[in-house]
Formats: sequence, structure tokens, C-alpha cells
Amino acid sequence: MPEIKVTPLGAGQDVGRSCILVSIGGKNIMLDCGMHMGYNDDRRFPDFSYITQNGRLTDFLDCVIISHFHLDHCGALPYMSEMVGYDGPIYMTHPTKAICPILLEDFRKITVDKKGETNFFTSQMIKDCMKKVIPLNLHQTVQVDDELEIKAYYAGHVLGAAMVHIKVGSESVVYTGDYNMTPDRHLGAAWIDKCRPDILISESTYATTIRDSKRCRERDFLKKVHESIERGGKVLIPVFALGRAQELCILLETFWERMNLKAPIYFSTGLTEKANHYYKLFITWTNQKIRKTFVQRNMFEFKHIKAFDRSYADNPGPMVVFATPGMLHAGQSLQIFKKWAGNEKNMVIMPGYCVQGTIGHKILNGQRKLEMEGRATLDVKLQVEYMSFSAHADAKGIMQLIRMAEPRNMLLVHGEAVKMEFLKGKIEQEFSIDCYMPANGETTTVTTNPSVPVDISLNLLKREMALGGPLPDPKKPRTMHGTLIMKENSLKLVSSEQALKELGLNEHQLRFTCHVQLQDPHSDADTLHRIYTHLKSVLKGYTIQHLPDGTVIVESIVIKVSSSAEDSNTKVLLLSWSYQDEDLGSFLSSLLKKGLPSGIC
Amino acid sequence: MEDAEFEDILDDWFIESLKTYKDLHVYQLEHPTQVLEWTSGKSVCVAGYSQSKNEILELRLPLKLLADENKSLCAERDFKVSHGGFTDGPVRCLTHIPGTRCAVTNDGLSSDLQVWDLGGEESDVIRRTGSIKGKRSASERGSRIAARPSSAPQVLHGAQISDVQLTELASGETLYKLETDSADPLSSLQFVSDTVFLAGCCNGSVYVADTRTSAPPQLSHSPSSDESVIWWTDAAAGPHPSSRRVIRVSSSGQAVVSDLRNLGGAGCQAQLDVQTPGRCSQVKVSWAPTLDDCISVSGFSGVVQIYNTCLWGAEPQEARPLFEHRGHAVSSQQTDDSVPTVVTSHIWHPERPRTLLSAASDGSVHVWDWVDPDRQGGSPTP
Repeated sequence: MPEIKVTPLGAGQDVGRSCILVSIGGKNIMLDCGMHMGYNDDRRFPDFSYITQNGRLTDFLDCVIISHFHLDHCGALPYMSEMVGYDGPIYMTHPTKAICPILLEDFRKITVDKKGETNFFTSQMIKDCMKKVIPLNLHQTVQVDDELEIKAYYAGHVLGAAMVHIKVGSESVVYTGDYNMTPDRHLGAAWIDKCRPDILISESTYATTIRDSKRCRERDFLKKVHESIERGGKVLIPVFALGRAQELCILLETFWERMNLKAPIYFSTGLTEKANHYYKLFITWTNQKIRKTFVQRNMFEFKHIKAFDRSYADNPGPMVVFATPGMLHAGQSLQIFKKWAGNEKNMVIMPGYCVQGTIGHKILNGQRKLEMEGRATLDVKLQVEYMSFSAHADAKGIMQLIRMAEPRNMLLVHGEAVKMEFLKGKIEQEFSIDCYMPANGETTTVTTNPSVPVDISLNLLKREMALGGPLPDPKKPRTMHGTLIMKENSLKLVSSEQALKELGLNEHQLRFTCHVQLQDPHSDADTLHRIYTHLKSVLKGYTIQHLPDGTVIVESIVIKVSSSAEDSNTKVLLLSWSYQDEDLGSFLSSLLKKGLPSGIC
Repeated sequence: MEDAEFEDILDDWFIESLKTYKDLHVYQLEHPTQVLEWTSGKSVCVAGYSQSKNEILELRLPLKLLADENKSLCAERDFKVSHGGFTDGPVRCLTHIPGTRCAVTNDGLSSDLQVWDLGGEESDVIRRTGSIKGKRSASERGSRIAARPSSAPQVLHGAQISDVQLTELASGETLYKLETDSADPLSSLQFVSDTVFLAGCCNGSVYVADTRTSAPPQLSHSPSSDESVIWWTDAAAGPHPSSRRVIRVSSSGQAVVSDLRNLGGAGCQAQLDVQTPGRCSQVKVSWAPTLDDCISVSGFSGVVQIYNTCLWGAEPQEARPLFEHRGHAVSSQQTDDSVPTVVTSHIWHPERPRTLLSAASDGSVHVWDWVDPDRQGGSPTP
């Protein structure tokens, strides 16, 4: 039976990274290649030994697909391609291709320079890895090879995030990566057509949650900023250029306008240049509102938000500053942080996850004393706020996506089976499909029932239609006779005559002949007649004829009677039938071997 | 309503909320719930009420709301669906049995009860484990249910006052029956001590009885003789017998407070500031567990109101609410304007003084911690 195999790499229950192997139609595909941000040793890399015990992965994988630029989905890519070894194609969307190397380099710097680690990929490796990347456009089918094709769909979540449709022959799989079903201020909602994949693969991390509204998250943000400003404090918001910066700026601008607030808001120019640059490149990836804004003016042209200058950090009084980088690990945001950390009226708002080793990570873990360069200690007195704005689909979102794509099977990764029985039951009940939940390192095999499309010749079709009867019903298959010709990549069903003609073969007829001996005192003609009567009573519903030339015909079977030379009471019956009537012919010969019933005349 | 207009109103209310709420969380369930019941200090049960299949969900409150010390370092704002199950009919009443992982429901169509196991660590499925036969196979309002506060799992239930009985869950045995002939349908049923309970009828009369005796119950007649009016009741579960008060609210907005030991006696009254009085079937009135004299009312519209009863006098006068939660009305997801959103239920957090949960007919569930307007200006006291 044809089947698709899915294995989430990794061990045990750890949820920190995505790397899924799919075997479909003889092809092996790696979906995402994430780094586990919680580990410091080799456990942070996916366990590639499942693919091969040692050696390069090139021969074992047909392609690698990366869904978006978050490190838990692409963080281990350079390690995989350059240190383990993979030279095949790596697919991702254009924005992902542009942004990944920046994040990977940042991550590398932090891990190697700040934490002093050695078994890690180098800048050159990141560059070499990215050379293997083939960018994808939305809704465009890409032929990886003769049999494997992939297509990217919009996933929302972050700039460039995609859900990917993978097809080999008539089997297909859709992998969602991270996605969200409700649009936010700068990204739309995920969308996919009714592609009916054999399996829809999704994360289960948020599948058992109900998300708090975006508005409430924004409210919390505004409340905290406002409270700090009101008491004369300064608010630092370290952001990644392509994260929520633009969205949060819009929010503050609207708020300042409405509340008629006077405190200054700044963003560092590095931030706006980068952001503008990328948004311009990838304008089709943002939502309608942003596109409209962008067409009219520069995205960072605000009434209340101005460009920052280093010297402003020392100005007295309240202010808000958006600065890069997002994890406080270097640059302007760290500089500002050092200046403002000592005052408890001030506040730093971290709008996203921070990698281990960064100041951001330390303060989010409650550290209030930081060791800086040159043994100096920094007392963290300002208020630290952690806010999550990331857009994820929740329990409702998963159901919506399943409704959209109509998969034949559902597969959830990164969840504990006992904690997802209810969701499994819900999916199975509402959609009547199986829901699989493999543990990390465990392979799920899903049997598929692919249909094989075959072209039928017009003549054959007409002939079948001419036979009449009810219209074709998928629940009641009707047998038809034809010949299947497989030529190059096409499958054709034609009538036997046409097939023979095409093949330049003559049709041969196969006829079986057998002799049956019978004891009968009558004349040959009478015996024949008796046989005719007998058969007519036994074989009701069949066409039986007694021809004047001395033969009885049953369907196409010919029966003749002659007397044996030695004894006129021994009759020899000659039965002859064609291959098509083999069953009936065999039946007749067995029947007649039993002799004729005495009562017949 | 135009999208832009809608966004504007939302913005105004949200911006106002910066000052009027300490915490605010807004969720959208797939299906609306009429029940909100604590199963622990951190989790609530909700359940659907459509005609056929529904879900019962146990939701764990967001960590950020509950975190007191490291609140600012916690970004977790979502509900976690910790357990879930399926029912065959609507769920109109859901009661958790204290000290157990057991809940009892009624579908509002008969007075039979369904018994559920809410599940533990090993499974996230809520399973039906049994049923308790009620007196009526068909009932317009269904049964009210109250769980005995301590001791072995027992439930008090009934659709009308004469049906009230106490059933032991494990055996199904009836341990007590309320002796009365009256067939008044019930709108509330609750224990005020381990053995004494209060049964509030739709017509406004209130019965108080003790499950240890077969003596006839104490009856306090309805404050109003108007038969078209429906009443709902709540008794405060205060620590001292002296603080045990009872409030009755009518569908016309009349509110009457009396002392539990002297229900007919002089208490205080008020005419509540409710819109569309008369058009409601899901009114809920509740004493605040930790705020003296405060009551909350919902079900008249898309608003939850909080009143301070100590401002009420002996003569009914119009009362202004101390606080109004207008979130459901303002951010209603319903597109059909002819059917306005109504708050279907609300509950107070048992310990956090000003934290409430409210649910509405559009499927929204809000968790809010309001700021006492009388105390605004200073730093909020926990």
C-alpha cells in the first residue's frame, strides 16, 4: 500500500525546535531545521542520525524547506548544510532568504563571541549555506525534480512565513510552519485553497490554547508605556527591524494623538532604514493597510515619532525610544539600556524572545545585577516588562485551517499525546479524519489511497456509454474492458482492438476443444436434440440454439455429436469454445460428462 | 456598522480601560457558554448550549493574570484548554463538586443530571461517568444544582421547589427531600452552610431549609405580587452569620437585600439601572466574595454591573452602579444587530477582590480586574 512517513526529529518531549522528515513517493524532504534555544550543547541541534549514521545528508534528502526566519525553524540550517554536509536545494521564500542570514549571523555572534562556544558554524558557513537557497514565490509551483513539486502559501505570522504544499504523483502533504488565522496590523491571515492533501502537518504548541485578543496585548503595552511616562520615566523598546517595530509605532502614534501626549518618541535610524528597505522589497507580503500607507508615504513618517540621536538619551524627562538590536546584545539598544538601567522610574519592554547569552535573556529571567565588560556591574533598577505579540493560531485557528485545506489526515507535532486526546477526538469527530500525534523521534506511517489518473480513448468511452444502464456511480464501480498503455509519463486506456493496432499486433483467437463420451442409443441427430433440450432446461437465461446444420450453440460454444466408429451407442461430443467463454465451456463439459437424464426425449 | 467606525468605538473603550481596569483579557470561544464555574482557583469550566452536541472545556487562567511577583516577566496571556469533552445536549447548569475532579450538569430540558469526570494528569478528556434521575422528564427551565461544600460528594438539585432533593453521587441514593407542596420553578439553589440551603423561586419567594431535618422550610414570600416578574437570588457566603445576606433581583430591575435570618424583615432596596428590563432570562446576581456589600448583576444586556449596596436605603431609589463592564457590548462580534449581545454568566474570583470572568452570547469570555473608581488616583490596593 502506498504510504507517507513523517518523523519529527528530536528526542523526548522537547518542544523547542522544528525539524520534520517526510518520506513521500520515494522522496525525502526535511521541513525546517531549527535550533533548540534552551540547550547549550549538541542537544540544540536536530538529531540527524535518523537520516544517516555518519556522512553527508545530500544523498538522503531530495530537498530542504524552511518555513520562516525564526531561529527555532532555521537556526540549525548552516550546521546541517556545512558541518554535517548537505549540497542539495534549500527552499524558502524571498523575505526569508533575505532575513535568515542576518538573524543567523547575529545568533552566531552572540553564541561564539559572547558565550565563547567553539562547536558552532562560522560566518562563512552561513554564506555558503545561503548559496544553496532557491527562493520561492507564493502560489507558484516549483519542480524540485521530475516527480517532486512544491508550492508556498501565505502563513501570516512574520514577514515571509509560508505554509508549504508538497506533491509527488498524486500524494501530497501540507506543512504549516507557524501561522495565524487572524490578520494583525501589518500581516494578513494564513490562506490555503481546498487542496485536500493526504496529510496536514501542524504544530500542536498552541493547539490547546485560546488566544487573548491582540487588542488586550496592545492595551497592556500602552498602559505600561503610559504609566512610565506619567511618572517621568524613560521607556526603551529594543526591537528587531522586521518584527513588531512598525506595528508598535503605529499604536503609540495613535495613542499619543488621541491622548494629546507631549513626551517625545524616537526610533533609531538604523531601524527605519532597514525596515523601509525590506518592506519595500517585500511589499506583497504585508497586508492591505501597510501597502496603502507605503504607497502614500514612507512607512516611518510619523507626527509624533522622530529620528533618534545618541545625545537624546541624556535628555531629562520622559521619552520612548525604539532601538535595535532586539535582544540588547550589542549596539544602540544596549548603550541606551546601560544609561537608563539605574533608574527605577524607567522601563524596558521586551517584545519578543531573547536568545541565551544576551542581556535581554538575563533580565527576562529576573537577573538584577549584570556583569558588563571590564568587570563592571550594572544594577538593573528599571522595570522590565516581557510582552508577547507574536501571532499564532490557537485551537480555533487549527479547526479553521483544516476546514480550509480539507486534508485526509491530520498530524500534530510537538505535543504530549495525553494532553491532546480531546483535540484529537474533536478533529476526528468534526472532520471524520484520523489525527496522528507522533512523539519526537517516532515515525508515523499514513497509508494513502492515491488515485491514478488515466486518459480514456474516446472510442472506448463511447462504447461504454452505448451499453446503456445507469450513469457511473463512484460507489458502484462498473467493470469495463480495455488495455492500459503506459508510455513515457502518460497512462492511456484504449479498446483492445486499438491497442493491438497501435502495437502492430494481430489479434489471435484462442479456441478450446474437448471431446466428451456419452452412452446414448439414439441417432446422432436425436442425441443432439436431447442435449439441446437438456441444456435448455439447465441453462435458463442463456442463448441456446439448435441449428439445422447439426450443431447446438450455447452463446458462442459449439456442440456437435458423432458416433464412435466401434460402437454406435457411444456418442462423441465435440465441444468447442473461445477463450472468452472459458468458464461456461468448462461448465458444459463437466455437465455433459455426467450424461443425459433419462427422462429427456 | 462600518469597519472604521467599529474600530473607533473599540479604541475609545479600550483607551478608557487603561485607567478603569488593572488587567483585561478578551477571548473568543468557538461556541458561547452559559456556564462559568470554578474548578480550582486557577481554572474554570465552560460549556456550549446549542441543541445538539456541545463541548465542555476546562480552561486554565492565563499565567500572567495569576502571577503576583513576577507578573511583568510573564508574557503568557492565553487560556489553556486543559481538559475537554463532548455532551449530547445543551449545558444550562454546571456545578463542580468541591475537593473532587467531578462535575454535574443539567441540560435545561428535563431535571435529570449528568455526572462527569473532569480528567486528571493522565488524560485531557472529560468523560461522562453517570447520571442522576430527576423528578421531571420534561422541564421548561431545567434543574438548579448545588454541591455540598464539604464532606462526601452530594448534590442538591431540582427544577421546582417541591422536587428539591439531596443525592449522594457515589450511590445515587436520595438522602433528603424538601417537604413542600408548592410547584414554583426554581431560579437558584445554593448551600449557605454545610447543611443549610437556600432555594430561590422564579416568583421571588425564598425557602431556607436544613438537610439534617425533615422540618418544613422557612419561607419568605416574594417582595412583589406582580406575577409577570421573574426573580433571581444570591446569598452571601460570609464567614460570620451576621454577614449572611440575601439579595433578590427581578426582571424589572428591582433589587431587595435582606438578612438571611430575617428574610421578610427590613433590609435595603434599589431600582437598578438596567436597560431593557423585562427582556431577560439569564440574569445572574452575585455577592462579591471579598468586597463587603458589593454585588454584581448581568443578563439584562451586554453589560455587567457592580453595585455597592451600603448606599441603598429602605425605600427603593434608583441606584447607580459603582462600575460597569461594557466590554461585551462594545466589542460584540455579532453581525446581526437585531439580536444584541447579552452577558450569559459571570463569576467573581474567590480570592482576588476585583477579578471577574464574564461570558456573553457571542461566544466572548472576558477576564477583568477593575479599578474602584472611588480609589482612583492613588496606587491600586490589591
